[in-house]
Amino acid sequence: MSRTYLGEFEELVLLTVAILNGSAYGLNIADELKQRTHRSINLSGVHVALYRLEDKGFVKSELGGATAARGGRRKRLFSITAYGKQTLDELRQVRNDLWEAIPNLSFS
Amino acid sequence: MAQPPHPLLPPNDHSSGGAPLPPAWADRLLRLFCPEDLQEELLGDLHEQFEQQVVELGEPTARRLYVGQVIRFCRPYFIIRQLRARPMPENPYSSPFFLSPLMIRNYLKIALRIVRKDNTFTLINLAGLATGLAVALLIVQYVRFELSYEKTNPLANQIVRLTMDYLNGETVDAQDAETYNPIGPKAKREMNEVVNYTRAKPFSKRLTIQLGDTYSVVDKALAVDSSFFSMFNYPLIRGSRNHLFTRPRQAVLTKTMALTYFKTLDVVGKTLKISRPENSILLEIVGVVPDSPINTHLKFDMVFSYPTLQADFGQKEEDWNGNNLYTYLQLAENTDYTKFTKSLSAFSNRLLQEKKITNERVIGQKIGDIHLYSHKTYEIEPNGDAKSVYFLMGVAFLVLLSAFVNYVNLTTAKALDRAKEVGMRKVIGSTLAQIRAQIFLETVLINGIAGALAVGLVAALRSVFIEVAGLPDGFTVFGDIFFWESLVVFLVLSSCLSGIYPAFVLSSFEPITVLKGNLSRSTKGLFLRKSLAVFQLTITLILLIQTFTVYQQVAFLRKQNLGLRMDHTLVVKAPVGANSEQAYESFRQMLLSQSQVRSVAYSNTVPGLESSQMGTSTGINLSDAVKKTYYNYYLTPIDTSFIDLMGIQLLAGKNFDATTRYGLSDTTDRQLIVNEETLRLWEIPTPQQAIGKRVDLWGHQATIRGVVKNYHYESPKSAFIPIILLYSPHFSSFASVKFAGGNAEEHLATLKRIYEANFPHSPFSYFFLDSEYDKQYKADDRFQQVFSSLTGFAILISCLGLFGLATFTVSKRTKEIGIRKVIGASTTNLLVLLSKDFIRTVWLSILIGLPVTYFLVNNWLANYATRIELSWWLFAGPALLVFLLVLLSIGSKTIASALMNPVNSLRSE
Repeated sequence: MSRTYLGEFEELVLLTVAILNGSAYGLNIADELKQRTHRSINLSGVHVALYRLEDKGFVKSELGGATAARGGRRKRLFSITAYGKQTLDELRQVRNDLWEAIPNLSFS
Repeated sequence: MAQPPHPLLPPNDHSSGGAPLPPAWADRLLRLFCPEDLQEELLGDLHEQFEQQVVELGEPTARRLYVGQVIRFCRPYFIIRQLRARPMPENPYSSPFFLSPLMIRNYLKIALRIVRKDNTFTLINLAGLATGLAVALLIVQYVRFELSYEKTNPLANQIVRLTMDYLNGETVDAQDAETYNPIGPKAKREMNEVVNYTRAKPFSKRLTIQLGDTYSVVDKALAVDSSFFSMFNYPLIRGSRNHLFTRPRQAVLTKTMALTYFKTLDVVGKTLKISRPENSILLEIVGVVPDSPINTHLKFDMVFSYPTLQADFGQKEEDWNGNNLYTYLQLAENTDYTKFTKSLSAFSNRLLQEKKITNERVIGQKIGDIHLYSHKTYEIEPNGDAKSVYFLMGVAFLVLLSAFVNYVNLTTAKALDRAKEVGMRKVIGSTLAQIRAQIFLETVLINGIAGALAVGLVAALRSVFIEVAGLPDGFTVFGDIFFWESLVVFLVLSSCLSGIYPAFVLSSFEPITVLKGNLSRSTKGLFLRKSLAVFQLTITLILLIQTFTVYQQVAFLRKQNLGLRMDHTLVVKAPVGANSEQAYESFRQMLLSQSQVRSVAYSNTVPGLESSQMGTSTGINLSDAVKKTYYNYYLTPIDTSFIDLMGIQLLAGKNFDATTRYGLSDTTDRQLIVNEETLRLWEIPTPQQAIGKRVDLWGHQATIRGVVKNYHYESPKSAFIPIILLYSPHFSSFASVKFAGGNAEEHLATLKRIYEANFPHSPFSYFFLDSEYDKQYKADDRFQQVFSSLTGFAILISCLGLFGLATFTVSKRTKEIGIRKVIGASTTNLLVLLSKDFIRTVWLSILIGLPVTYFLVNNWLANYATRIELSWWLFAGPALLVFLLVLLSIGSKTIASALMNPVNSLRSE
């Protein structure tokens, strides 16, 4: 299976973009991740991950309309591409296969 | 995916009025680091987050977090992305060239290529610059340390030490650092400018502390007044300032001393027992202070209260008979120093009128000046010397300058190699400024590497340097921020000095001439290059001659006939506590019964110790003297065998013998032996005539019993001093024991055994007389070592430079040499041809260097009472050496090319 490498943090960001599909931008992705994972999330890290995902073709983006908040600056809104969705599916499949391959699942 | 460029909105265009805004400088930082097309969304997100955090965490925290976030945005990803985005701005010519990453990358690439291509020259440049920088850095640290004395004391500018001038008519005979004990209080009473005073009576190695059964000698102890702590800035770590040092028998220890003796700092209330022959004193410890800084002249391990001196040491309050303590005055803030000097001189005259002092004058000196400029007798510790400090600094800068010369010479000499590159750049469109900036950048790069190497060199040389220069243990190099500051200053300085000229030379090539390929060997810059080489060689020559002279002078001092024999002599310090006459006598007899012991002598001091170990007295005169003298005479008690043991020559009269009545107890007929210098001062023409003359000694009569030849009590560096020997059979200070050759270890063991048998409670402390005497040469030795290593570096650097120049000249003339050989030139012809220029340089520098050195050397030698005569070979030797060194540095290259087969040189293209 040959596809572009997806780091752990990138994967989390990609999933969050999928959740917030259409309205995802840097800050609310960071907030969402913070809430769900209880990790300390760095805004710059989220942005770098987003740009990398965009370079790799997993997400696409467009600039939203200006709002009165944030000094009238526009947001860059991210949404997942079909290729991104497919990659997530494949990843999930691999995980599921791996889980099922574990012989005796006991949590003693 | 390309985004259309968005005009950047000003940050607070639409923001609701009055809402807190994040720091603007952080936004500017972000704009600097982030690609332009991303700035809007990033700033937007950041501002939104900031607004949230202001609500949640409050504005100050939010601002702090905001800055943290922005700094995290300055990460490689954005910088790289920005650099990639750079080359396609709307107007490609608008950005200044020095910010253009492409050009900078190109400059760096070319610089690194040149560095790699010509590794000989790179190596020479780097080695020269790195050594020069390292030397300069170390010397600057040293100089700064020497100049830093008393700088840690915030009151240093207000504190003045009083000292005494001994006058003989109008001329000053001697300057004594110690004063009479009532002067301090009297000065405070009578002079408005004085707000405080403290006296400090030194007890260097003279107090023995008894702790249980062990005795130990305190290295540095002072008896001081209570104001000492505030005047010299010693905060109390333990104990309180209230009623400090108002009563006798109070002591304050330094931290180190408290830890050594008691293993704890909580020593307030404990006692220390001082054991003395006359009495024992119990000192109550009332406080602990930090250790004395290494850069103060007045260091101590322990201080005790001044009233103790009156209670236990027999010091009288109004005692104008002996000056043996230091007096410091604290002046009121903003006191005009010249005004103070005037009122001090009035004060001094008053003392004369009140007949407190005679033929003396009280003068003041700022404590900041003591370490480098004082040089009086009875200083508490050996002073540094401003002259040699500045001298060494000058030399270090010359060495550094010499390294710059190398760089400039080599770079400009090699400029021709790069002419084509410069021509090409100009044709493509480089401006002059761009080319200059490029060459300058190369220099900065080389200097940067040299700076890193220099730090490595300093690290390697540090411990050697600290030892050679005689710096104290606490001396740090890298921990000092000043070191890094000076490194930066030096790098900037050296980049400018060595970079600007080559930049101008290289940028001046005309593209047409250069690219047509008919650029002949230009003579441009040749004059400057030659004068720089002459300058460099002159420096080398001057330093070399100086080194020779210093070496000769120190060797000469060591060869001097001292008038003493100090071989195989061990000196033991006197035991502590009260000991009986019998114990002293039995010690002597037990020693003399040993077969290896030749002789034993008791004396108050021995040669080689500072003259301040001796008592001095002014105004001892012949009873029938018409003209009284006011010299400082040095008095010391000795026993009957001292003169013989030390090998002092008796010129006339008799030595002391067992029938002599001893010392000062005899009020009717004191017996004296004096040296020639004393006779000279008393104007007695021959030793024989002196015998039997009567002398006034503190109001009593004494008779000259013998005259000894002058001997060098201190090193021959100082002049002979007038010495008066008195008789005392007691083991009061030192016992010198002369052995009959053989094993020193064995002698020492014997001596120790006998000493401990007789004085079981005393610490055995000894030294070898000759090695102790040698210590006086230490300052000269150090100066010689530091100086000669500096010279070594200077020689190394200029040889490197010459080697580089020779290599370059020869490589440019390979073809010429080949043709000359084919036509029939001999190897000798060629050698002369190739070295002619260099030899002319040497001649010129010798011509310039010799007169300068003659002046410098004479000036330096004037410091010495006993000095070498300057002879022609002192100058000719180093000149010849420089000549040989030059030949050696250029020789290997010139000989090789002169011997080369012309076929090879002519074929090479």
